[in-house]
Amino acid sequence: MLALLSPWIIGVCTFVLYPIINSLYWSFTTKRYGKPARWVGTANYETLASNPDLGQALRNTAYLAVIGLPVRLLIALLAAALLATPRRGNGAYRLLFYVPAVVPAVASGALFFFLLKRGGPVSSLFELFGLEAPLWFRDPEWAKPALIMVGVWALGDTMLVFLAGLVDVPRSLYQAVELDGAGRWGKFRHVTLPMVSPVIFFTLLTGLIGVLQSFDQAFVISQGVRKGRLTGEPDGSLLTYAMLQLRYFQDGRIGMAAAMAWLMFLMTLAITIVLMLSRRKWVHTAAEEPR
Amino acid sequence: MSATLSMPPVRQRPPRRHAVLLAIGRHAVLIGLAAMFALPLLFMLLQSVMPITQAKTSALWPETFEWGNYREVFDRVPLAQYFVNTLQVCLLATIGTVVSCVPVAYAFSWMRWRGRTTVFVIVLATMMLPYQVLFPTQFQIFTSLGWLNSVLPLTVPAFFGDAFSIFMLRQFFMTLPGDVIDAARIDGAGEGWILTRVVVPMAKPGIMAVALFQFLFSWSDFFGPNIYLENENSLTLAVGLARLNTALAKTGESNLTMAASVVFVLPLIVMFFFAQKVFIEGVNLTGTKG
Repeated sequence: MLALLSPWIIGVCTFVLYPIINSLYWSFTTKRYGKPARWVGTANYETLASNPDLGQALRNTAYLAVIGLPVRLLIALLAAALLATPRRGNGAYRLLFYVPAVVPAVASGALFFFLLKRGGPVSSLFELFGLEAPLWFRDPEWAKPALIMVGVWALGDTMLVFLAGLVDVPRSLYQAVELDGAGRWGKFRHVTLPMVSPVIFFTLLTGLIGVLQSFDQAFVISQGVRKGRLTGEPDGSLLTYAMLQLRYFQDGRIGMAAAMAWLMFLMTLAITIVLMLSRRKWVHTAAEEPR
Repeated sequence: MSATLSMPPVRQRPPRRHAVLLAIGRHAVLIGLAAMFALPLLFMLLQSVMPITQAKTSALWPETFEWGNYREVFDRVPLAQYFVNTLQVCLLATIGTVVSCVPVAYAFSWMRWRGRTTVFVIVLATMMLPYQVLFPTQFQIFTSLGWLNSVLPLTVPAFFGDAFSIFMLRQFFMTLPGDVIDAARIDGAGEGWILTRVVVPMAKPGIMAVALFQFLFSWSDFFGPNIYLENENSLTLAVGLARLNTALAKTGESNLTMAASVVFVLPLIVMFFFAQKVFIEGVNLTGTKG
């Protein structure tokens, strides 16, 4: 048993546990690579707290979590619900809806940077309908909705997870509430929703943690916007927590990057614990249903 | 018939026209969604073959299909080298993940030992950890080993197990028929024999799914390569594309950015079309089933 586990045990200790503990230590120091760390107490955390960029990054993250994630989950659930009952053509739709999910985040970032640029395809489509397109990534008001669009585009994996959950709902349950006189809404509310609540829980947990570390698309897009010397940046409407941390890292201020790492560890832990505790209230635990 | 007639209907069935409208509505939504998912990829393809004079305008359809854009982008940046580097990272990381995670997943599914549940909770916990928490220290480790600008920081950790893959494999192993494994055990087979001769052959679909997901992850990964790779010739496609996008945002040559994007994305889409079942198996393993 130990022989089978030993590579993993070595891996976890070296690449996970040690970095977590080490970053806690570094976060109280002026660590720079190649130099010894000097203890400065909570100075890094104080610097961080007084940095307006941190507030901005956290607000951006909250926006993506509170607005972006529910939108993504709802559309994924809608798509899955439309494809859950076997019908001809479903396979093709499912295939098509999933394809964007295999597109790497860097590529979808570059793609939407192009799609949403001034005079790009999306503004051409707007013009077709006689509308004026927003400036998207160059407009602080529209940058985050645009970023959410990129996420919604790649919701295929969430949809598949929902689909797997929906297919598992026993038909007998629907028949039972139908006898009780439930309509479409009643069936959704009293059967579908409770039965897929474990899936919603799972997608919410992974989704929130994913939002917390969102980086690739926002980074690629903001680099393009900034280097293009366009307006709207760098007021930080695309700044994420991970981007701010990378900035400290690249400036060589490893103590600061470590402090941000440790805070992210705590936030991840908090999200997980809060969701786990709330689980009993709203997540339906599978009673033994006849298959 | 008479029995149903004599009973008052609990709820009136929707009239036929209602059902037709519903079907139309359903298809309208599906077609709308299909357009939303497909159009961006179509625009990517079209833009990648647009002549530069047109690429800077708001044209949607290329006047002539400028396939030379692809040659040009391969000339401008060492895209072929990026491709080789990416492939190298993907293959090594995938091999490493499978080799290291299969035994661990076996120990968590078909072997009984004290503390198994507790240790498995540690696996689940590490699965949730963002890389941002770990890289400041990992960077120091890899720098002191002289591993910068090489594939080592991106591949060696895979040989020491990856929580996500262990979790997926365990999910799959749990669905295997226990009596076959028990029978082998009663016959006196050792754990190593059971793992390699009984479990692995039965678990091929699950192992394939995990391998595919690791390949996909390594191909797409940006954060790690962006930190560890600096030299132009050591970059992966993800980092190369990000830099190209930044550079060409200035010049407006979005046709070349999109050509590079197609080179980056197309292998994955082709893989997906050929291995759909494996993908769906994988997604289901990441879910709450099992």
